[in-house]
Amino acid sequence: MHCTARTLLSGVLTPSLTRPTTLPPSFLLPALQTASFTSTPNPLARKKRKARKDNNPQRGQSALHRTGLKNEKLSVSLAHLPQPVLDPRQRSTVEVDVDHGLWDFFPADRSCMATPADLSAHGRAWTVGELRNKDWDDLHRLWWVCIKEMNRIKTFAAERERIGNMYGAHESEKRIVEVKNTMKAIKHTLTERWYAWDNARNAAMEDDEINMYADLDNGEAAYIPKAEEEQNLAESTPAVDSTLPPPSNQPPQQETRA
Amino acid sequence: MATSIAGPVFRTGTKELYLPAANITFLRGRDPHHARFQVPLWFSKMDIRDYLWHCYGVETLSTRSYVKLTPVRPLPGHTPRRWHRKKSRKFMTVELARPFVWPAEPEDLSEWNADSVQMASKEQSKFQDAQGTTKDTIVNEERRERMREQAKALLEGKTKWKPAAKTFGTEIYSRQR
Repeated sequence: MHCTARTLLSGVLTPSLTRPTTLPPSFLLPALQTASFTSTPNPLARKKRKARKDNNPQRGQSALHRTGLKNEKLSVSLAHLPQPVLDPRQRSTVEVDVDHGLWDFFPADRSCMATPADLSAHGRAWTVGELRNKDWDDLHRLWWVCIKEMNRIKTFAAERERIGNMYGAHESEKRIVEVKNTMKAIKHTLTERWYAWDNARNAAMEDDEINMYADLDNGEAAYIPKAEEEQNLAESTPAVDSTLPPPSNQPPQQETRA
Repeated sequence: MATSIAGPVFRTGTKELYLPAANITFLRGRDPHHARFQVPLWFSKMDIRDYLWHCYGVETLSTRSYVKLTPVRPLPGHTPRRWHRKKSRKFMTVELARPFVWPAEPEDLSEWNADSVQMASKEQSKFQDAQGTTKDTIVNEERRERMREQAKALLEGKTKWKPAAKTFGTEIYSRQR
């Protein structure tokens, strides 16, 4: 058994433990705070129980045997406790916000589920050819539309299954197929786009005219055409021998083809 | 997509997921302050909290989670004594910051052909019982009625009992089931 000096000496250092035996429920607190105007002892004041030798003031109290409040005197009797409203018609109704986010799990008319006719009223999935023209923001938005649509279809299915013996599973599955095809097409488009980018990167790494490490934010050009580069070099380094005639920059004569 | 400008009371996660494929199913419940969902098995309480916040703009205060174990069942088909447990299902109940009441169940289920489906499923279960291993325990009340009528007619002398037909020296017993 692990014992530190602190735990061993705790009984000696703390002279008397006078903790309240049981705290009343929080809703009874105002009732317990009564100002006494007489010198007679308050009958509601709880008696301080004598500390037992085992230092357990809750000795003998059991939740199973309902002995918790045997020696306690409460300011209210059990008869005056608030009663739960068992009849659901008498309870106050909850007003649901019009813009509550959970409405997105339901059809547009805010009924609890879509009919098979509504479920089958859909077109085809988006094709890859159509999605190639879309930018990332559009594809991302469409992906989340698909996710929410799937959640909606699954919610309808769970509700149908709860009620039982209803048509609509076939229509539901047909709709799921179209949504999944759209999601596949989005992934296909993005994969294509990634390969296009990767091929371009590989081509750029082999190209001398492209500076892969150009700092575009500071105005450095990533594409430096070769002829311009040579011209810059020629301007910066003066000709070694000025006696030589200047190089003729004449373009090569066009070949005449028979 | 969040509706509240102030943001949620909780700290959202920092990992950026762009194309998650997790689906959740909203299940009907009675308590307007709680919403119950079926979620993927790998979902955590933080996952559903951030999912509902980012995707639906729903603020949650607390989450309870429960994994429902499916019972062990024999494998389908003709594989005796092979037992299998299907994948468990995970349910999460979140405490909503703004209460939500489920729309009422439709009273008229004719759009879903509920009556005909119910009749069909009853017929099917009846047929399956007649084919099953306990088919000999099924009592054909209609046949009993017919036998009772025949016996009564015989006793009253309305019909006369005839022995079984004899053809080519062998008896042909016809028994109507």
